[in-house]
Amino acid sequence: MLAIDVHQLRKQFKVQKNRVGVKGALLDLFKREHTLVTAVKDISFQIPQGEICGYIGENGAGKSTTIKMLTGILVPTSGDIRVNGFVPHKEREAFVKEIGVVFGQRSQLWWDIGVIESFRLLRKVYRVGESDFNRRLDELVETLDLSELLNRPVRKLSLGQRMRCELVAALLHQPSILFLDEPTIGLDIMVKTQIRDFLQKINRELGTTILLTTHDLQDIDALCSRVIMLDDGHIIYDGGLDELKDRWSKGREIVFQFTDAVSLERVRSLTDGLDVRWTVENEWTAKVWIPREMNVSDVLARVVSSAEISDIKILETNTDEIVREIYRTGSSDAGEALRG
Amino acid sequence: MKILFSLSLFREYIANYLKTKLTYRADFWVEVASDLLFSAMNLIFIFVVFQHTPSLGDWSEAEVVFVYGYFMIPYGLFSTFSNLWNFGERYIIKGEMDRILTRPAGSLTQVMLENVDPPSLIGSLVGIGIMATSWWKMGLTFEWYDPLALLALVLGSTLVYMGIYTAIAALSFYSDAPTGITPLIYNIQNYGRYPVQIYNKTIRFLLTWLLPFAFVGVYPASFFLEDHHDPLMAWLTPAAGLIVGAIGLAVWTHGVKRYRGAGS
Amino acid sequence: MVSAYFDFVRIRFLTMLAYRINYYSGIVIYCINIGAYYFMWRAIYGDAETLGGFTVAQMTTYIAVSWMARAFYFNNLDREISNEIRDGSVAVQMMRPISYLLVKMMQGFGEGAFRMLLLMVPGMIVATLLFPVTLPTDPMRWFVFFIMLWFSFLINTQLNLLTGLFAFFVENNEGLMRMKRVLIDLLSGVLLPLTFFPGWARTILEWLPFQAITYLPSSVFTGRLNGVEVWNALYVQMIWFLALIVPILLMWRSARKRLFVQGG
Repeated sequence: MLAIDVHQLRKQFKVQKNRVGVKGALLDLFKREHTLVTAVKDISFQIPQGEICGYIGENGAGKSTTIKMLTGILVPTSGDIRVNGFVPHKEREAFVKEIGVVFGQRSQLWWDIGVIESFRLLRKVYRVGESDFNRRLDELVETLDLSELLNRPVRKLSLGQRMRCELVAALLHQPSILFLDEPTIGLDIMVKTQIRDFLQKINRELGTTILLTTHDLQDIDALCSRVIMLDDGHIIYDGGLDELKDRWSKGREIVFQFTDAVSLERVRSLTDGLDVRWTVENEWTAKVWIPREMNVSDVLARVVSSAEISDIKILETNTDEIVREIYRTGSSDAGEALRG
Repeated sequence: MKILFSLSLFREYIANYLKTKLTYRADFWVEVASDLLFSAMNLIFIFVVFQHTPSLGDWSEAEVVFVYGYFMIPYGLFSTFSNLWNFGERYIIKGEMDRILTRPAGSLTQVMLENVDPPSLIGSLVGIGIMATSWWKMGLTFEWYDPLALLALVLGSTLVYMGIYTAIAALSFYSDAPTGITPLIYNIQNYGRYPVQIYNKTIRFLLTWLLPFAFVGVYPASFFLEDHHDPLMAWLTPAAGLIVGAIGLAVWTHGVKRYRGAGS
Repeated sequence: MVSAYFDFVRIRFLTMLAYRINYYSGIVIYCINIGAYYFMWRAIYGDAETLGGFTVAQMTTYIAVSWMARAFYFNNLDREISNEIRDGSVAVQMMRPISYLLVKMMQGFGEGAFRMLLLMVPGMIVATLLFPVTLPTDPMRWFVFFIMLWFSFLINTQLNLLTGLFAFFVENNEGLMRMKRVLIDLLSGVLLPLTFFPGWARTILEWLPFQAITYLPSSVFTGRLNGVEVWNALYVQMIWFLALIVPILLMWRSARKRLFVQGG
């Protein structure tokens, strides 16, 4: 069964124009001008139950708008959405009982009172039974290592501690789908890792479907089997992460540290006949670029056999670079390339 | 069912409110004091004015104070349960409305409960005290049904306030900066607590039929006053409450629709 | 350097323009306030010729000009400052090579200038048409009034700075800010000219800065104060302006210490 099923989804906003200067502002007093902005442009995708899907794109690409439509906050301009079998905006109250939402930038906990009080209140709001609640809370608290924080007010928590509590708050009613908007933003590496492990665990054990937006591509690397990439309201890539890397990464690089000084001609002669590209970084260091279809070991063997090497480093293009590359080269070309 | 659920939520929210306030006990009393100071200012105004004149129109000092005391009761109730002054700022600009909409309870219920403000209830108690004092001073008779009538009238008046201010808060859904409306209404509201008969026709009409703040003061209070007894206007109060409350709710519902971008 | 400060005036002026509903509602609010108080005072006067030394005509003018002056000097700097202190952005502002307090003052002035030009002036014209307001004919009186209005703004803003800065020292100064607002409305003379208060209260009020905000300039405008009294009123304002600089600077200094030594 599909957890999320989206067809031709579109969202338009009317945006107020502000005219410049005193004169413009005076004119605005009497007549406002609007422009129509299309934030999400007829996108379609399906996410099966139990998948962890990354939803990425630059600021303003339409990520948040999509998430808001999927969670029933916004009503689409056109198109169909089914989440958990519900049309989110139509049966809002029944629908939201089955989902969990974490907005990384905003808290759903009460600022001034102990975290546990917020959890208790959410229990009432979601009408979770007392025993279910206690069992679930114990589990979550143990996995996320929160037992010492439960009585502390939210304002006295660090961002990482708060974020873990937010996750608990979103999962107390055992939702089958979890929406995360920038769940690791601003966190240190330890907490990030902890949160990633936790998300994997609930996905594995409870089969929770997770859709997350993020700027941190390490989140994607660590969690997602699937990536949807958005640019200017269009989906420009939808598929596996490996596939994305395969298709887009143009090759690898090896950095050699030679024991003797080298020149460009010298290193080029080492790989005569191979389609590689050398650059010399300094007297002893040179870098070679190897296209994807060529074997790294071929190049390595040739170089090592005819020169003294003190150090070798192989650089794999990471997701970060791929994504940057896609945006840099322009989304439409990239989209073509990826789809093609 | 839905109402029962809301009531059970109410208990939880109040409990959370109390826990919050216990951490800032001093604030609680400062808030109570500043609330009362506002009423004190209006009473001082009345007292000072009556030092220079025996009557305001044909209203005596005790009657004017009586009306003011009545006003404080629904006003306190209203302030406790619909403390929506910051709605636009907190829920629309800072985006907390999104969180509200991802929870399985009515949006207005949640917003009202999150901002519940029990110190304002003290104002209601003081109002009862003021009413009782002027009652006794004027030597008004006391009938067995008076407390029941008071209850019905106060509920009506509270609904008038809630309806108007819910509609005003809901304006945040329509405009990015509707902040000017709230002070406007707030200012007009102030005049409902004096006998509207002293104003000219335009203002009286405004306070009776357009922004019916006179139903949170002089009309219902006149039910108990022998010299200004006006049962018709008094009993219109619960009706006005229901109508204005319904309008407020409708504006809110429509506003939420708009916020979610449904068909606008 | 100076032009940097004037930029704050300009930017605030533009910001105010952007909030157009505030603007429309502002004019209406002030007209309603003037109207409501006009009718209330007419009822208070009844058949009396003069009360508290004011004739009906003087009283009408007094109310109109006091509310309009309030439009100019009123601002929410206290709230802005305490918000900036609580969310910590004040520290960033203090790093800038310009005086935080002066910047705030300039922003308040931008707001005041906006209200003066677009609200006070048209509002006063409307009020003159609607109610029997008599404007002074002597150009000198107009001149002195505008100087006094400037001091009203300064003194009121100084009080706002003081209340706002309290946020450095207490966890929540919300109650204090509300009290200040009520006190200024009651004691500065917007609601009641000081002459209406009983003798003992008047003596106390004469030793407080509030009268310098509304009562003194409005009394000059209505012609209640004449000749040497006008200059005395102006001196009182100047003295308060200078005197209030001292506590502000003291508070500012200890606030900085608190911020930089204890790290907030």
